Amino acid sequence: MSTAPPTSSPSQPALTRCGRLWRGALLPIALIAIWAAISAAGLVNPELFSPPQVVLHTAIEDFASGAVPFALAATLLRALIGSAIGISAGFLVGTLLGLSGIARRIGDPTINSARQIALFAWIPLLSAWFGNGELMKITLIALGAFFPMALAAEAGCRNVPVPYREIGRVLELDRLTTLRRIVLPAATPALLAGLELSLNIAWLGTFGAEYLIGTGYINGMGDGLGAYLAAAREFARMDRVIVGVVSLAVVGLALDRAVVLLSRRALPWSRH
Amino acid sequence: MVQTLDASHTAPAAGPHRSDIDIRNVSKSFAVDGGTVQALTDVSLAVRPGEFVSLVGPSGCGKSTLLRLIAGLDVPDSGTVAVDGQKVTKPSLTRGIVFQDHRLLPWLSVEANILLSLNSVAGAAEEKRTRVAELIRLVGLSGFEKALPHQLSGGMSQRAAIARALAPRPRLLLLDEPLGALDSLTRGYLQEELLRLWEHEGIAMVMVTHDVEEAVFLSNRVVVMDPRPGRVRQIFDIAGARPRQRAERAFVEVKQDILDLLHLHRHAA
Repeated sequence: MSTAPPTSSPSQPALTRCGRLWRGALLPIALIAIWAAISAAGLVNPELFSPPQVVLHTAIEDFASGAVPFALAATLLRALIGSAIGISAGFLVGTLLGLSGIARRIGDPTINSARQIALFAWIPLLSAWFGNGELMKITLIALGAFFPMALAAEAGCRNVPVPYREIGRVLELDRLTTLRRIVLPAATPALLAGLELSLNIAWLGTFGAEYLIGTGYINGMGDGLGAYLAAAREFARMDRVIVGVVSLAVVGLALDRAVVLLSRRALPWSRH
Repeated sequence: MVQTLDASHTAPAAGPHRSDIDIRNVSKSFAVDGGTVQALTDVSLAVRPGEFVSLVGPSGCGKSTLLRLIAGLDVPDSGTVAVDGQKVTKPSLTRGIVFQDHRLLPWLSVEANILLSLNSVAGAAEEKRTRVAELIRLVGLSGFEKALPHQLSGGMSQRAAIARALAPRPRLLLLDEPLGALDSLTRGYLQEELLRLWEHEGIAMVMVTHDVEEAVFLSNRVVVMDPRPGRVRQIFDIAGARPRQRAERAFVEVKQDILDLLHLHRHAA
């Protein structure tokens, strides 16, 4: 039984949410103020430490020229393609490992060893196989997204509470129905946690791939925020570096929020 | 054997659909922390078709284990459990079970939870939906079809769990402390509901309970069990037409006899 009418006024939650937002913004605002003060006092070399108004000016300029939006779009597209591949593969492999003891005994040692390899340590091997083009970048991103999802799916499918498994037995459900109606829903919180981590690593991997791989003299600068940042550094444009870094942070945060929002919608039953 | 939704074979007067249970010399032990616990030792019990039998006894007397053996969720170390002369080896929709923790799937609505029990039953989708609606009415959950389990009270969850167990028209219903987690008011009310369902379905029901009054109120026979190792101590026949009056002398006397037997054991232990 639930339906007691809400006693607090509707504006109450909005107010506290607004308050949270302000508290979250406090530190960045303070840092910008300190940054502006140091710059204005002439304590640092403006070439290495661009003042806020210059960064703002560059940001407006590069957004208007399309340089930053284009780089952002390229990075986002690359990250999404790579993570879609990696997350799908991770989900399939992880679910298989979670469901089948035989698959687990065969697959687990390999996966557990492979996931110890730092993502960027794959670069020499992958570039030897796939060159330094798009295929290589997408593969690297997919690889980064693969492991968190695979591990989460495996754990999620293995840790279905026994009472729910017994309901599957008592109702004589076949394997596919048990998977669809019991195992995967029970694993959803783990799957969403895996999704969040996978996207996170894919986002880092995308930037790394663009920055480290796309800047070869043979391949040209490549595109994406990583290339934008590499170029900015190359020409010692610290204002652009800051614009690029902030853009990365904002999009990364937005991706993370999107997953959190999705989690809340996907799990109405687990909030209580 | 494939369950069907055909209503004809569950008319209360019909014979062959009502299962009997034959438990013979059953023993079961569990490995716990390196040692073994003897949950049941040489238990024999027969339940007649259409009978309501309650299992009572202190914790550790193996009453829930016995129920799980009948359900087919566990298998005995020795001895046999047979329903309708068929040895029980795995769970079946012909034997419905209701647990103390309702075990509704939290991600499915009341309706979808009940419908899931018809997944492996032969029949058209329309027919199954009709059956689900019928069950929801029968247990008094009309209007809560789309509710998720966390939106229900304990009593309502248990009604939904009972509906789920009854939907595939089992020939036997097993109840593992179904009302154990409810407040006393809800509990008394659901006891009467259970009685109504038992009369309506005409199938045998076996219930594990801690509540002696509940057992006497509902049962044809009350089986008192002893712990360590779990075994049958004594079986009480409960006479009297239903609904039974809890304040009646015969009711109070047999309830007291059972309580005395249980307390006797506690003092001896």
